[in-house]
Amino acid sequence: MAATLRDRAPRSVRPLEGDGDGVDDDGPRRPKVDRPNTDDLLKRMRRVDPNQARRYRQRTGE
Amino acid sequence: MRLCGIETEYGIQVDGVDDMDVVVESMELIRCYSHEDFIAKWDYGRENPRLDMRGFEVDELRNDKDETLHLQKDRDRKIPLAELKSDLLISNGARLYNDHTHPEYSTPECYSLFDLLEQDRAGERILHNCARRRTETRGKGVVRLYKNNTDFEGHSYGCHENFLIGRQLPFQRVIEGLLPFLVTRQIFAGAGKVGIEQGGRADGGVFQVSQRADFFETIASVDTMHRRPLVNTRDEPHADPEQYRRLHLIVGDANMSEYITALKVGSTALFLDLLEADQLPPLQIEDPVRALKAVSRDPAQRWEVTLTSGRRATAIEIQAAYLEKARALASGRDRETDWVLAAWGDTLDKLASNREELIGVCDWVTKKWLLDSFAASEGLDWDDPSDRSWLQSQDLEYHNVDPDAGLFLLLEAQGDTQRLVDDEAVTRAVVQPPTETRASFRGRVLQKFGEAVRSLNWDSVELESNGRMVVVDLKGCVDPQTLSSYTHILDRSSTVEELLAGLPTASVG
Repeated sequence: MAATLRDRAPRSVRPLEGDGDGVDDDGPRRPKVDRPNTDDLLKRMRRVDPNQARRYRQRTGE
Repeated sequence: MRLCGIETEYGIQVDGVDDMDVVVESMELIRCYSHEDFIAKWDYGRENPRLDMRGFEVDELRNDKDETLHLQKDRDRKIPLAELKSDLLISNGARLYNDHTHPEYSTPECYSLFDLLEQDRAGERILHNCARRRTETRGKGVVRLYKNNTDFEGHSYGCHENFLIGRQLPFQRVIEGLLPFLVTRQIFAGAGKVGIEQGGRADGGVFQVSQRADFFETIASVDTMHRRPLVNTRDEPHADPEQYRRLHLIVGDANMSEYITALKVGSTALFLDLLEADQLPPLQIEDPVRALKAVSRDPAQRWEVTLTSGRRATAIEIQAAYLEKARALASGRDRETDWVLAAWGDTLDKLASNREELIGVCDWVTKKWLLDSFAASEGLDWDDPSDRSWLQSQDLEYHNVDPDAGLFLLLEAQGDTQRLVDDEAVTRAVVQPPTETRASFRGRVLQKFGEAVRSLNWDSVELESNGRMVVVDLKGCVDPQTLSSYTHILDRSSTVEELLAGLPTASVG
């Protein structure tokens, strides 16, 4: 019995309207990518303790 | 797809507590899964991690010096082993326990790649909920969990993939076939790491594509904690040992990206199809252990390796060779396979031509972009040890499974990552096993005859019947047809005795 298959085709990250990569033909074009907004991420990153990784001590696992 | 699963050891830290005991903290965290009295039901009698695929058994598994000292102290603990491990088989069919010193979540067996993703994401959510409860009960400090593979101080812990493969293939061929594939797979499957760990603190302003590559020292062995092998030879099939092996891959990183988890597992399953069909491209890499590290650490990210023929080839070219063969073998087989083939090709194309398109898709690319953005914003220098320490802290926070704190999960909440499963499906997977594997049978036995269940393992359920212990053998229940017949017998049984009469069993004790 085959697994239940769902329709989840890969999609490009933030493809934009436009002229692709500038190649003048009818073939597939490379999507342009919008970089994610970093404002909130950078605020969060500034709050990360610079010594967080130094204090992070684990024991060997598998 | 073939039967598979993922086991992930999580890192654990308590903010604001310097003298945390990771063993006790991991145990207490797992015990937060249920507010009811804790009952450990895992059956250890059916496990033997010392058996080697190559036909022998070792006396003991090896540990590094550090861990040997820790283990000596562990022996003085007054906590019984069963309580220490707090081993649970939970309602979605997963195994949740304290694996030594790390909370571990092992997904139930899955056939579908997307079932596997849902179960893997469910594990993040289950463990995060445990961390929240533990934070409430311990009274001091915030419990943090990290789905990563290193403490930047030379201690690594794993994210292992498991695949059911045929026993008929000599294991030496499995080893030889796997090496070039695994050495090069990290270019899309790596989670990225700041620094190089060589027996101690991660050093150098190098950004590696892989978290785990530093920790591998040999080609093949049964060990997993010391002198780690590229190919683990542990022989525990959890299925009929005459017919099957369980390939236990320990070289991969824990991924935050759903897309990469799916691509990593899906491409490896297709690789195994090629191996079993004797359709692999004729490739062998010189000194694979060294090549694994060299690819991961390559500052130019050209990822060139030397083949045994003397020719140089890039990791992208080698992966493309596997992809071409996989297309020829499996294209059009089913929609899931076609998804993997398309994603594999798309990712290799973008690695070759425009990696920025993999931000939010590929873990190491996303992490590097975040770190570069942060370094630029704060004026940090990758070569300055103090600045690098802050970057390593950001590296760690990328893997935090708290959705209010983890960098990847914040990016995901912004809608800037490639999702493949939706949150409703993950919510269902927190409590429901995949319907197409024996995980659902185990779960339904627990629901229907839970009071009679004395212990469980992946391939067995031990029940008490009329004062004697009887084990239902699930070793043969690894295909949908057998599952269907087992389920039919379970459905029509109104007593434990009726169930046992219809299934392969053995009396114990």
